[in-house]
Amino acid sequence: MAESASEKPESYEAAVERLEQIIDRLDSGQAGLRETLELCREGRELVTYCSTELDAVGADLEELKLDELAAKLERTGS
Amino acid sequence: MDELPGPFPVGRYARKLQEELRRRARVRLVGEVTGVSRSKVQAYFELRDAEGAVPCAIWLDDLDKAGLPEGALRDGAEVVIGGGPDYYPGGGQASPSFAFRATHVRLAGEGDLLARLEALRKQLRSEGLFELQKQLARPRLPKTIGVVTAESGAARRDLLAGLRRRGWAGTVVWAFAPVQDRRAAPAISRAIQELAATPAVEAIVVARGGGSLADLWAFCDETLCRTVAMLRVPVISAVGHERDSTLIDDVAAVACSTPTHAAEAVVPLDCDAAREALARSAAALRRAGEGAVGSRRRHLVALARGPARALRRERIALNQKTREIRAASERGLAERRAFQRRIAQVVLVRAARRAAGPEADSRREALHRAAVALRAHEPERTLERGYVLAETTTGEPVTGVAAARAADEISLRFSDGRIRVRET
Repeated sequence: MAESASEKPESYEAAVERLEQIIDRLDSGQAGLRETLELCREGRELVTYCSTELDAVGADLEELKLDELAAKLERTGS
Repeated sequence: MDELPGPFPVGRYARKLQEELRRRARVRLVGEVTGVSRSKVQAYFELRDAEGAVPCAIWLDDLDKAGLPEGALRDGAEVVIGGGPDYYPGGGQASPSFAFRATHVRLAGEGDLLARLEALRKQLRSEGLFELQKQLARPRLPKTIGVVTAESGAARRDLLAGLRRRGWAGTVVWAFAPVQDRRAAPAISRAIQELAATPAVEAIVVARGGGSLADLWAFCDETLCRTVAMLRVPVISAVGHERDSTLIDDVAAVACSTPTHAAEAVVPLDCDAAREALARSAAALRRAGEGAVGSRRRHLVALARGPARALRRERIALNQKTREIRAASERGLAERRAFQRRIAQVVLVRAARRAAGPEADSRREALHRAAVALRAHEPERTLERGYVLAETTTGEPVTGVAAARAADEISLRFSDGRIRVRET
């Protein structure tokens, strides 16, 4: 397995790549029951992660000037 | 120092220096004008590029003859001047000065700029600065992007429209800067550096709505381009020039011709398409999970039903065999009894014929053989071998279960006696 299912993916593209691997494996019909259920569980976690990432850029486009961004980051403690 | 020639009067030396310099070859120089000032008869300025500068002076008469547009000789203008070095020896009250005496001046054309650009491009390429940005990983789905552009202008609007078309609605951090001419380079460079220093910014777009190469000259600035090349945040240039690329295009991670294309480069993921693909993936996972469990459940159920079905099948087969055996058994008994009767008849007929013959002894002997043979075929002989003869209480043979049940009570005859039996 390329990465542990419980670990947060390092990026959206890494998550999508792993998700495609999982679906290819499931589509092959070669996975046993235990592996299938494990892949489905990992896949659902990846879908949730990707969905969260897409949601983060899915509401309203926010426009800030650099100093406004700095003030916002200070407020949020980032 | 006494071994040196002289001492000479300095005024004479100054005039000699002037003569020497004026003998030098006349040339053309190209560079950017800065620090323009005028006296009643001359204009003064510095001509400079990234490597150095020369103080210049031009008689106003010569400047008028050049026919430049009004105000063209200004700070930031790229010009070509013709002339040679000169030295003003000064006087009792006036300070001496060196200047490149320009006798001709014209605005630099694209050809002049391109020649300078190519030299600089060659230099930066030889230093490997074109490759650094291209080796950076670019996020397919950045949440925050930085943009350097003019506050008012089509580039800003086009970029936003492009981002929205991709279904992207993250955070855009603007760092507005003048993007018009060479003087803009330090401000652009500073804006890029400030964005790059903000950790949330995952990629930077430098956008301008296009123009002539002279308009875009700021984006060929050596310091700016070296700055971009060394950044660890990917920079997407979109300072569209239709014929010739600017130097920032060479050092940037990606060069785009328009701000619209820059939107696609800075957010490579088509978010709307990605959302649809993600929904398909989620459905595929659900189907796979349910299918795997469902098909196995059906298989298990089939397996669980298997033994009962097999038992039923065996029971049917067993009953069939039992019926066949019973039928065969009844058929066998009847055939055997008929065979014995036929044998007895044949023997009796033969014995009777022989008994009627003239020789009594031989007839007796024959009769004896016949009796022995007949005895061998008697049912008692069969009973002695372990068979049992079922009879009614009146001695009639019982040949089947139906007859036995009808008789209520039957007699089983052994070789050594009989017993009565009743079905319970």
